[in-house]
Amino acid sequence: MDGLTAAESRELDQRLQKRQVKEFMSVFGNLVDNCFTACVDDFTSKALSGRESGCISRCVLKSMSTQTRLGERFGELNAAMTAEMQRR
Amino acid sequence: MFGLGRPQPTSAEKIAAVENELKVVAEMHSRMVKICTLKCIDKSYREGDLSKGESVCLDRCAAKFFETHQKISDQLQKETQARGGGGFSM
Repeated sequence: MDGLTAAESRELDQRLQKRQVKEFMSVFGNLVDNCFTACVDDFTSKALSGRESGCISRCVLKSMSTQTRLGERFGELNAAMTAEMQRR
Repeated sequence: MFGLGRPQPTSAEKIAAVENELKVVAEMHSRMVKICTLKCIDKSYREGDLSKGESVCLDRCAAKFFETHQKISDQLQKETQARGGGGFSM
């Protein structure tokens, strides 16, 4: 992969930034869907119950910890896989 | 032959290539998180912290996910070639 010019680098950065925003929205959406599905099941009321609220908070915390941990593992494994592929 | 070579990639092509590679990696990451969460995380969310068991499960899940990816990639390539196809590598 030949080097990119300064202008090309800037263009790439812009694209990546846009992609990151999209990525965040996607993570956020999945979080809502996931925690809602896991925690909310009482439709005798319009408002979230205390139990449901607590569950959602814990779900968010746990999901963020999961993202962090898997992010680290992914980085390590991806680097190893890339190195292996170049070795072959 | 002198002067005969592949045409240089255009700016757009170079940028697209980098962006695409990152897209592939990001997608794999996203799939892995979804699946390992499903396989390892207790859905009752009684606790806000990852338990030791869940943490270990996530680590192992990630490792196995990558190994599966590689295994399937290799096998697919082998099978495609055996069937006389062009094959592609991931």
